[in-house]
Amino acid sequence: MATGSDERSHLSDATDAILAARAADGDERAFEVIVRRHGPLMRAYATRILGSTSDSDDVVQETFITAWERLPELQDPAATKAWLMRITSRKAIDRIRARRQDQPLADWDLPAPESESPHRLAEASSQRERLTRALGTLSESQRQCWTLREIGGHSYAEIADELDLPASTVRGLLARARQKLMQEMEEWR
Amino acid sequence: MTLSPDDPNEDLIASLSDYVDRGETPPAELLNSAPDVRIAYDALTRFRTLAQDILEDDVTAEPSRDDSWVTGILSNIHREARAGRSIPVAHPSPKATLSLTEGAVRGLVRSAGDGVAGTFIGSCRLEGDVTTPGSPVTVNVTASVFWGERIPRTAQRLRDAITTSLLHHTELNIVAVNVTITDVHLRRNPEPPAE
Repeated sequence: MATGSDERSHLSDATDAILAARAADGDERAFEVIVRRHGPLMRAYATRILGSTSDSDDVVQETFITAWERLPELQDPAATKAWLMRITSRKAIDRIRARRQDQPLADWDLPAPESESPHRLAEASSQRERLTRALGTLSESQRQCWTLREIGGHSYAEIADELDLPASTVRGLLARARQKLMQEMEEWR
Repeated sequence: MTLSPDDPNEDLIASLSDYVDRGETPPAELLNSAPDVRIAYDALTRFRTLAQDILEDDVTAEPSRDDSWVTGILSNIHREARAGRSIPVAHPSPKATLSLTEGAVRGLVRSAGDGVAGTFIGSCRLEGDVTTPGSPVTVNVTASVFWGERIPRTAQRLRDAITTSLLHHTELNIVAVNVTITDVHLRRNPEPPAE
């Protein structure tokens, strides 16, 4: 194994663009570095969309298997992370769809569990922690829209497409999600 | 703003969101129309910044795990997909047909390039009819050099290493090796080593 000596560079020093180009050519070692570098972030993102960790390992696995197959189509290898996030969100939504096969997607807007009461929110120290707790008070579809928009950077149209909802519904869900977050974080009422 | 008279705040947030999501700043007349508008707008932009941070927090908070998730992924990918064209290799016996895959040749090129200190090969393309023995073949590679390396000298060393390796291990008639430096890399934090 190379140990980062000057004689031979360690592949983990390579940029995403180089690694993605190599992996597209069939270099598994380069792909492994991509998996290690971005896997934890994809898992966190999948968990945010799914609302629990129960399926996130499966989503991460499916994401990278798909990524390996589609790498030769990746137009801009430097945008590997954003591209992986897109695959992750798609796989996570597929999971949710499968989970909810009996229910139309538009009925997702169910109330969130009661556990996150406002006084618990106030206890959370940092703003980030407070946001995470406030997200727990959103309905599933509000949280999904918010996560895809704010963390994933998807457009309304893309979210509508992914979730199989009219764009106007997505806009409404996002507005409600944001309003709820403001209230929960006691920023605004 | 009369779309849902029961909740004018939601309408306000929806319209402010439209600006935020387009990456635009709302007009000053709107922002200054009421204190709540400014407060809501500030909160929306703050959420955006926080959103990027919470994912990083999640990653940091994640307990370290064994390697099974990585091996699970690697054992499920289809390697055959990248073999590429079949390159004939001469053999004294007419009964034997030998060939080398294009993917294997790319592997040779990468490994030759990685042997040059401070460089990584990115993509590798073999241009030309590699399936016909003796036809002229041009090798085009992209590469990354370690920050501070002299690029022309490094590109020349890469070209030499690739040419030598292909001469040694293949029968390809290499007429040119073009190296395009597309990236510069730095030393990153050490990651778990590949086993």
